[in-house]
Amino acid sequence: MSIIPYARADGALYWQVQARRNIGVRSLFLVVLAFLIAYAVLFPGLFTVSGFAKFTQSWFPLALVAMAQAILMLTGGISLAIGATVSLGAVIAATTMGGPLGIAGGAAAVALAGLGIGAATGFIVVRLRLPAIVVTLAGSFIIGGAALLILPRPGGSIPAWLSDLLAGDTPAAFVLLVVVVLLWKLYLATPLGLSLYAAGENPVGAYRSGVPVDAARVAAYAISGLLSTGAGLFVAAQTGSGDPVIGTAFTLNSIAAAVLGGIGFLGGQGTMRGALAGSLLLSLMISVMFFLGFTPVAQYVAQGLIIIGAVAIPQFRKVQQ
Amino acid sequence: MTAWTDSAGGRRARAILTSRPFLTLAIVVAVWIAASIASRGFGAYGHLRYLVELGAVIGLVAAGQTFVVIAGGIDLSVAAIVTVSAISLPLLSWQADPTGLASVLAVVALTTAIGVVNGLGVALLRVHPMIMTLAMATFLQGLLIIIAGGSAVTAENPLVHWLGNARPAGIPAGILLWIAVSVLVLTLMHATPFGARIFAMGANPLAASLSGVPIISTTLAVYGISGFTAGLAGVLVLGMNGQGYVGIGDPYLLASIAAVVLGGTSILGGLGTYAGTIPGAILLVTITALITVVNASPGWRSILFGSLILGLLLLSGREQARR
Repeated sequence: MSIIPYARADGALYWQVQARRNIGVRSLFLVVLAFLIAYAVLFPGLFTVSGFAKFTQSWFPLALVAMAQAILMLTGGISLAIGATVSLGAVIAATTMGGPLGIAGGAAAVALAGLGIGAATGFIVVRLRLPAIVVTLAGSFIIGGAALLILPRPGGSIPAWLSDLLAGDTPAAFVLLVVVVLLWKLYLATPLGLSLYAAGENPVGAYRSGVPVDAARVAAYAISGLLSTGAGLFVAAQTGSGDPVIGTAFTLNSIAAAVLGGIGFLGGQGTMRGALAGSLLLSLMISVMFFLGFTPVAQYVAQGLIIIGAVAIPQFRKVQQ
Repeated sequence: MTAWTDSAGGRRARAILTSRPFLTLAIVVAVWIAASIASRGFGAYGHLRYLVELGAVIGLVAAGQTFVVIAGGIDLSVAAIVTVSAISLPLLSWQADPTGLASVLAVVALTTAIGVVNGLGVALLRVHPMIMTLAMATFLQGLLIIIAGGSAVTAENPLVHWLGNARPAGIPAGILLWIAVSVLVLTLMHATPFGARIFAMGANPLAASLSGVPIISTTLAVYGISGFTAGLAGVLVLGMNGQGYVGIGDPYLLASIAAVVLGGTSILGGLGTYAGTIPGAILLVTITALITVVNASPGWRSILFGSLILGLLLLSGREQARR
């Protein structure tokens, strides 16, 4: 740990802090870059508008759930209900948007459901002091059951123009991702956002220093729920309908992306840019394996090996030093 | 408050009565009595015996899970290991093995090895247990589809059939197996140096390591035990079901963790006992049976199951305030 020299201006300090945060994720960025180049070689269409659009669309939901998991892990929590929440978001979108509520009403319902579920989970974990991993595991049954109640079998519909806008040949997904990242930066500047790292790194110390630890953690759960149902809305727009179990794979993938991105399980360690890079790496890996003609089964095997390798190697080097 | 609490026996009795395992047991008894009054068939001896027999599978998986959780880890690959065991047993059958004992031993050795690999990742590569075991589950899932090809396999193994169906002296063999494993596990956990080491490791790995606890070999052993008991559970579930298929182990992941936590073991490690996991496992099958009685749609059943676990956690799974 080096001491940050006195900054001459506030701006200089800001960039120094940002540069320090990049140190941990530099090698990850290099790996992502290598995979991006491999992808561009295999799939030259990446540099056309529609190719870029398709590429970002396959990444976008994974990026959202990676952020949803990362914000929890930064506060020392975790969620095993992300997949179920994504499914719930998808079925709510598919059942409301074609109905009397319309697009705006449907989107509001999706957002409210995410915020409400997240806040309720956060309340149970934080105020009732139950272990997050067990609460969210039980929560995944409740949320998944609710999704089955709303839509027992795949169905519903998303208005065609919305599907075309979000998942058509426009890079709308990328624009949305930029907006989400900007909103995240904005959130980090609010009192609750500032408390996020402190609440995760050292909750007792933060509490005694006057940081609103409980509020920051409950807010993190609420935002996590919102991001998850948002990812569900997008997945529903991609497929044009709702499916009550479409989100299942996102639970493992969100944890894998966050951990690949250098987010620690103990809270307060890691950065959102790392989680985003982790999700991009995972998305690229899946696409590259697809283009190389791996069967889905071999993809499972390779994914398991790559995740262990990617997590183990940096740890191993740290131990050797 | 005077004579009763002052005597050593009285203090001991009070400690047992206020302990978490006893609380869980009391909940089980209360639920059984309430359910027997509400529905007449529930309290029949045959039905309760059947519940405990179902609980044996969860109890076996949760035995290894209890070790891992007390040692400060978590094993999210138990469901996949149960499936591996149930699927690969029919494949590992030899003609020159009339009792079927050799193939059962081979399968349990295989699942123990899978557990040890988990332990290697956690102890040597320092991968977080959740990631290591989740990745292992993903890996096994792919492997299973390659091996089984998505079709169900039938076991023609005499020992497995006996385990799943025989009733020596009126008690199902599965329950006898569970009792034997419970005695072994409780002895290993509370009456051996190894047991003391896992509690020390779970409470504070650094202090344990500095005090001479061999962290690496203990971690390997703990995950190996988890693989072993999950493998046994797979053999038992195959015997009870008659058929193995991909996904047969899936219900046992949440169930094993829930049984451990409902039994009063701290998910943070270093605190707990298998004596609580046993009633925890029986409580879980009881809940499942009650939900089946209600005859609701799959969605409502799932919601009820999750809510009941959450409600029970509020009764017995709360962490200490940290300030």
